[in-house]
Amino acid sequence: MAKPLPELRERLLRAGIAPRYVRRYLAELTDHLADLTAEEQRAGRSRADAETAALLRLGGIDELSNAMTKQRQLQSWSVRAPWATFGLAPLFLLAGAWFAALFILWSGWKMFLPGADTPFGGHHVSGFVNLYFQADRALYFGAPILIGWGIGLIAARQRLKAVWPIAGLFLIALIGGTAQVHASRTTVPHGLGHIGMDFTLGSTMPLIPYALFHALAILSLTVLPYLLWRLQKAHSLFA
Amino acid sequence: MAPRETNPNFMNGVPELLILRLLQQEEMYGYEIVQAIRSRTDTVIAVGEGVVYPVLHGLERDGALKARRKTVNGRSRIYYTVTPVGSRRLADLSEVWTNLSGAIQKMLTGGQYGEATP
Repeated sequence: MAKPLPELRERLLRAGIAPRYVRRYLAELTDHLADLTAEEQRAGRSRADAETAALLRLGGIDELSNAMTKQRQLQSWSVRAPWATFGLAPLFLLAGAWFAALFILWSGWKMFLPGADTPFGGHHVSGFVNLYFQADRALYFGAPILIGWGIGLIAARQRLKAVWPIAGLFLIALIGGTAQVHASRTTVPHGLGHIGMDFTLGSTMPLIPYALFHALAILSLTVLPYLLWRLQKAHSLFA
Repeated sequence: MAPRETNPNFMNGVPELLILRLLQQEEMYGYEIVQAIRSRTDTVIAVGEGVVYPVLHGLERDGALKARRKTVNGRSRIYYTVTPVGSRRLADLSEVWTNLSGAIQKMLTGGQYGEATP
C-alpha cells in the first residue's frame, strides 16, 4: 500500500474530506492491511503473494475513495462553507485580536501614561512598560499576517482551489491596510481616555499611499507563503 | 490476480445495519468487524474491506458510534461501540429492512406459487 496510500490521501483531500478523517482513515487502512497480510501468510502464501492478496481484499483506490466521499458529513468546513472559513472566521479572529490589542493599549495608557493626552509617540518609556507597548504593537500589526498565514495553511493543506483563500487574503489585507487607531482624552469626561478605530483610505493625501502600502505589505506577506505551500504540495505529489 | 467480485449495492444502508448490529453485542475494531460480517453472512456479502471505515467514521460523526483507542498485544487499535443514538438507529434500520425483506420474500413467493397471469 506504499504507493496507493499517498494517491488516496490526495484524492480525499481534493474531494474536500477533512484532514483529520483522511489521516485516521489511512492509519486504519494501514493497520487493516497489516492484519490481512498476516492472515494471508498464515494461510501459506509467500510474503509477496500475501501482500498482493491483502491489497485486493482491502479494495481498489476508486472503491476506497468513493466510499469516503459518499460520507458528506466528513467534509471539512472549508469545503462546505468556504465563505465562513475564509470570510467570516478571519474577520471575527481579526476583530478579536484587535479588541485585545486596543484593550492592552488603553490599559497601558491608563496605568503607565496617566498624564498623557495620547498613548502614541514621544513618550520616554523603558523596561517593562516599553515591552508592554511593543507587545501591543506586535499583536496589532501581526494579527492580519498571522490570520493570513492561517488561511494559506488551511487552503494548502486541504488542496483547495485558490479562489476563496485569495479572496480571504485580499479582504484581510484591505481591512488591515485601511484600519486606523485614534486615541483622545479630551472627548471623554473625567479624563478616562477613549480609543477607537475606523477604516478609511484617509482624509488627507499622505494617508492614502500609506494605507495602500500597508495593505500591499500584508497581502505580499500572506500570499507568498500560500503560493509557496501550494507549489510544495504540488511538487511532493508529482515527486 | 483478478479483482474480487463485490456487491456494488453493499453501501446502500446495509453496512450501517450490520455494523450497528455487531457493535451492539461487543466493541470491535475495523478488521474484526469485517471478519465478523464475512463469517456471519457466509461471505454472501463481499466488499472491499477498507470501505468499512468511512461507514464507521460517518456513524461516529452522527453520534451513533463512539470510538476509543486501545492497545492490545502491543498494537494500538481504534475500537467502536454503539451509543444510545446508535441503538435507536439500529432499531429503525432493522424495522425497515425486516419490512423490506418480508415484502421481497412475499413478492418472490407470489411469483413462484401465485396465479398465472395472462
